[in-house]
Amino acid sequence: MRLAGRTALITGAARGLGRAVAVAFAREGADLALLDIAADLPGVPYPLGSASQLACTADLCREAGAGVLTGTVDVRDLAQVEQAVAEAVGRFGELDVLVTNAGIAAPSGRAAHEITEREWQLMIDVDLSGAWRTIRAVGGRMAERGSGSIINIASTAGLVGYRHFAGYVAAKHGIIGLTKAVALDYAPRRVRVNALCPGSVRDDPRVEGRMLAEIARSLDVPVAEHEETFVQAQPMNTLIEPDDVAGAALWLASDESRQVTGSVLTVDGGFTAR
Amino acid sequence: MTPSFTQPGFARIVGVDTPESALCHALAVRLTEDVDAEALRHRFDTAVRRWWPGPADRTPTLWSEAVPSARGTPLARHRLRTEMHRPVSRTGPVLRAVVLTYADASRDLVLTGHRGTLDPPSLRVLAEVLTGRRSPDPLTAQPLPAEVTATPRRTPSGGRRVEWGMGDAQAGDRTDVFRLPLGAAAGDPLTSLSAAAVVVLSRYEGREVVRTGRVRSPASRASEALGAFDEVAVLTVDLSRVRSNEDLLDSLSTSPDVSPQDTAERRPDVGVLEVAAAAGEADIPAELPCQSALFPLTLVLAPGADGTTDVEVRHQVRHVGAAAARAYAECVALVHRQLTERPDGLVRDLDLLDAEAGARQLALGLAPESAPPRPRRIDALFDEWAERHPGAVALRRGDAALTYGQLRERADLVAAGLRLRGVRPGDHVGICLDRSLDLVVTMLAVLKADAVYVPMDPSHPPQRRAHIVRDAGLRVVVSDLPDFPGGDGSVLGVAELVRAGGAGGPAVPRRGPGDAAYVIYTSGSTGRPKGVEVPHRNVTGLVAATRDDFALHPDDTWTLFHSSAFDFSVWEIWGALLTGATLVVVPYDVSRSPTEFHELLVRERVTVLNQTPSAFGQLMEADRRSAAPLAVRLVVFGGEPLDTRVLLGWFDRYPEDRCRLVNMFGITETTVHATAQTVTRREALAGTRSVGRALPGWRLYVLDPQGRPVPTGVTGEIWVGGAGVASGYLGLPELTAERFQPDPFLEGRRYRSGDLGRFRPDGSLEHLGRLDDQVKVRGFRVELDEIRNVLLDDRAVRAAAVLVSGDALKDAATVRIDAYVVLDGQDTEAVRRRASRILPEYMVPTTLTALDALPLTGNGKLDPDRLPAPATPASPPKATAGKPAGLSGDLAEVWESVLGVSVGLDDNFFALGGNSLYAVRIGSAMRERGLPALSMRQLYLTPTVRALAADLDQQRS
Ligand SMILES: NC(=O)c1ccc[n+]([C@@H]2O[C@H](COP(=O)([O-])OP(=O)(O)OC[C@H]3O[C@@H](n4cnc5c(N)ncnc54)[C@H](O)[C@@H]3O)[C@@H](O)[C@H]2O)c1
Repeated sequence: MRLAGRTALITGAARGLGRAVAVAFAREGADLALLDIAADLPGVPYPLGSASQLACTADLCREAGAGVLTGTVDVRDLAQVEQAVAEAVGRFGELDVLVTNAGIAAPSGRAAHEITEREWQLMIDVDLSGAWRTIRAVGGRMAERGSGSIINIASTAGLVGYRHFAGYVAAKHGIIGLTKAVALDYAPRRVRVNALCPGSVRDDPRVEGRMLAEIARSLDVPVAEHEETFVQAQPMNTLIEPDDVAGAALWLASDESRQVTGSVLTVDGGFTAR
Repeated sequence: MTPSFTQPGFARIVGVDTPESALCHALAVRLTEDVDAEALRHRFDTAVRRWWPGPADRTPTLWSEAVPSARGTPLARHRLRTEMHRPVSRTGPVLRAVVLTYADASRDLVLTGHRGTLDPPSLRVLAEVLTGRRSPDPLTAQPLPAEVTATPRRTPSGGRRVEWGMGDAQAGDRTDVFRLPLGAAAGDPLTSLSAAAVVVLSRYEGREVVRTGRVRSPASRASEALGAFDEVAVLTVDLSRVRSNEDLLDSLSTSPDVSPQDTAERRPDVGVLEVAAAAGEADIPAELPCQSALFPLTLVLAPGADGTTDVEVRHQVRHVGAAAARAYAECVALVHRQLTERPDGLVRDLDLLDAEAGARQLALGLAPESAPPRPRRIDALFDEWAERHPGAVALRRGDAALTYGQLRERADLVAAGLRLRGVRPGDHVGICLDRSLDLVVTMLAVLKADAVYVPMDPSHPPQRRAHIVRDAGLRVVVSDLPDFPGGDGSVLGVAELVRAGGAGGPAVPRRGPGDAAYVIYTSGSTGRPKGVEVPHRNVTGLVAATRDDFALHPDDTWTLFHSSAFDFSVWEIWGALLTGATLVVVPYDVSRSPTEFHELLVRERVTVLNQTPSAFGQLMEADRRSAAPLAVRLVVFGGEPLDTRVLLGWFDRYPEDRCRLVNMFGITETTVHATAQTVTRREALAGTRSVGRALPGWRLYVLDPQGRPVPTGVTGEIWVGGAGVASGYLGLPELTAERFQPDPFLEGRRYRSGDLGRFRPDGSLEHLGRLDDQVKVRGFRVELDEIRNVLLDDRAVRAAAVLVSGDALKDAATVRIDAYVVLDGQDTEAVRRRASRILPEYMVPTTLTALDALPLTGNGKLDPDRLPAPATPASPPKATAGKPAGLSGDLAEVWESVLGVSVGLDDNFFALGGNSLYAVRIGSAMRERGLPALSMRQLYLTPTVRALAADLDQQRS
């Protein structure tokens, strides 16, 4: 098992990619601290993960053999994040892997000048600053110990633009910058920091994914049409599966990638190769 | 940052490269139905409030977790095992308590602690309190330290190496575990286990004084205390002071810790640990003494079936591999049995291997298929070839050549001449001729005259030749030298003998293949050269042993490259002439010039080449510069240890299927070669030191000083038996009896080589240098070869030699390692810097001197006498001029007085020749002057005057 004896902390773990990554890690022997807001967020036009969804991810991981700790945490609140990290450390000793995955895709669907101040702040606060806060709470311990792998879930939106998604694209570009800078901060202490950029991921009912549908809704196009657009746009002519993203995360988490830091790994079927 | 422990003893056995889990231990108890969850929580909270009321981040929590599977299922067992192996952080809560609730509603309580703050008995007591079986009232807890330094930063481990461990450098922190039955113990079981471990270690390391670790709960431990009470001991045992097994057991039970505190420099490789007698569930013990391994090889005393004891072996795979750990543990179990069964037996009589293991070990030294070759005479075998193809070319030198027929004819004439001059069967006849056709003719002639040839090199000093003439009782010497020191015998020229021989006819030798064919003088490290007397059948046996494997064939062309006084030439001459091949005689001056020799190899289309590694290194250079490819199909290395890594470039030009490289280990006393190891790119990449298995008919032994076989992987002395063993040393019956002893397993005798080696599991032998070359630097056993290997790993280094100088007896701190390197650009400082990243500090060369080429002897081996005086220890230009003031000025003065060199503020302590002994002296000199205290570690971390002064200043304020 590639992560035997390791502990990973994952934010946004109630569903979607967070859940896929959590279960994949559990199968490889990791123990898990799973964090999620597990509540809706005013200003986000779709439901976020629920407490029940978070418990479900936890159970799936336990069935795969993991020891699991769950925590209800809003990544916009540093104190909450720190509290949860302290608890995870108490339970598991040390943290070996951090996946900053919590994120929102909307409010979106409008041109830059139509975004309100609050909407802009919310998007940056969750998608960019949330990742920084989690790194802030975990990175120091990893650096002190001299080992660790941090995986920031960005997006192809961190590499190219998408029309009417200025806030999301800016936040995800920010994640890439954050990744590179922090990689340099921690490289001497052997803590690795990498960004993972999924392309358009299929909303897999098994992980209760809904990002694609929400993006389609923001753009006011039927989901099927939006899916088809991306099947065409991604050169391998399929959508990405959550397990594809989990596999890449697993590699970044394991020692197989032990000289990889500051890198940006795309899992996008060739979308950004054009 | 120095790792600090509440329990200070652990600092002596655990270093920054030890994972935290080595100090963590766990206990699992099944919660019976009467233990109510609420009551458990209540008792836990009370306990925590009472004993560890400290800061919130150090307060333990009772965790509980559901396991979605019934007790005993693989998933449930996996969860329990993981929980027990989860380290607690020394900076976090003092313990971890987890209740696992399985799908069948049964529960386990898992408690995990860190030996730095809570010992295993504390967890046992705590478990009783939490389950309501013991009152918390009489218990007291050690207060937690106010401040604990953070977990030490992990540094990639360099330096530490368990010599016999055959570890896997790629294994990371992995620990493997297995169990062996130990049988019944006599008296205190931990003592008898320690004793067995000590004996095995002493045999493994080949020394009487050994250090092992031991961790146990002292008998004086109060049963009502919670805290860190482990007794951590480093046992230093001098086995030369104990006689009987009983003595040994006594000494271990009475003197727990006799090792001085400051030897923490090297942590013990092996240690023992006790565990309480709690039976576990299936394959999971109820008590885990350590989550990984406290020592590279950790032996845990564990209760076995029906009252017997087991040893649980935990080994850090990086340092001790699976095979080595098992072999060691098997030895421990066997020794343990003898210790307990025969208390009055002698420690030196303890066997490491039982009959079966001993037999296995002996079988390793035997070639797979080895029917003893039929004994033959050299000249008889030659005559068969002369009969078979008289017209084939036997010898060539420049334009001159002799066919097999002509060679036989001329040798018969010279033989007849020798007989006419009074040479009788068995007489010693000296030969002192340049490398010429007549040199070979004369050798053959001496054999045909039924006499024994004694080669002497014309370039050797006259005193040496005079010694040989006297020592071998030479009445006849064949030489063209006008000034040959004749003694009372006669000096004859070849032409003269040919002329004289016309009058006599051929005669049939009467002596048999078991009689001497030649005497070659070897110069040992001490005393005068000794004559080694070698019978005919050894040489014919050597050719028979290699002919098929090397596909030796009449179409081959060999060279006679080496001096006739060096036994490598025996192989060159008779290897060629007894397989019907052509032998090209290489003139002396051509053999000295790699370029000319290369031209000769091309011109003569030589196919079989024999070289010392040093000479081959130069030949490879010449080959790189030359456009003309060689026709060589077989290269045999001999005479010196081979560094296989330098061959990579060769394989690029001459792939393995075109030219085979064979490394052969041998000794004059066992007839040139005894083993063969084919070297391919894979061996070269691995830098193998294997010299291969025994040749068919030869037999290898690796023995301890008492003559017992040592286990695989353990270093011992190489003995060689079988077809190659010489008759003995001429005129030295005592030395002969000492070095050539009856072989208990084969007919004949076996020769004690004085070389160190060890078997690998496949029976190949690793050659580890001369017994008398073993050097100790400040108490550490240092293998110069290893240092050389590290230097050669550096791409800038093309050749390297490493020597030791100084007198360890007079002043251990003056012992120096001097390295000489041939560089590809770059400077020695860069090489030194890189080497110091790999080598432990005591092995980093004190001086590094760059040379254009390494000096070689006439035999093509490294000539240490011709190495120049080493460069003075590197000292970068001074950063500041004038004497600095304040602390750094004082420090510089102390360093200068101790190290005896001038010191700049930014000079590195180690680059100035510093070592741990000097570090201690600097520490005491500073104390004398009232300067701040200096820890050894600090000097290692801040090895310049400037950095050290800044650090000390900061500490003062
Ligand atoms: N699905 C895709 O196509 C896709 C593509 C590229 C990148 N991503 C990125 O992957 C990550 C996961 O996306 P997903 O598709 O799984 O989305 P998702 O909405 O299914 O899951 C996101 C999870 O994050 C949680 N979350 C949101 N805000 C939070 C907050 N403030 N604090 C704590 N938790 C919060 C939600 O509750 C939810 O459980 C996001 O960062 C997203 O930008 C997704």
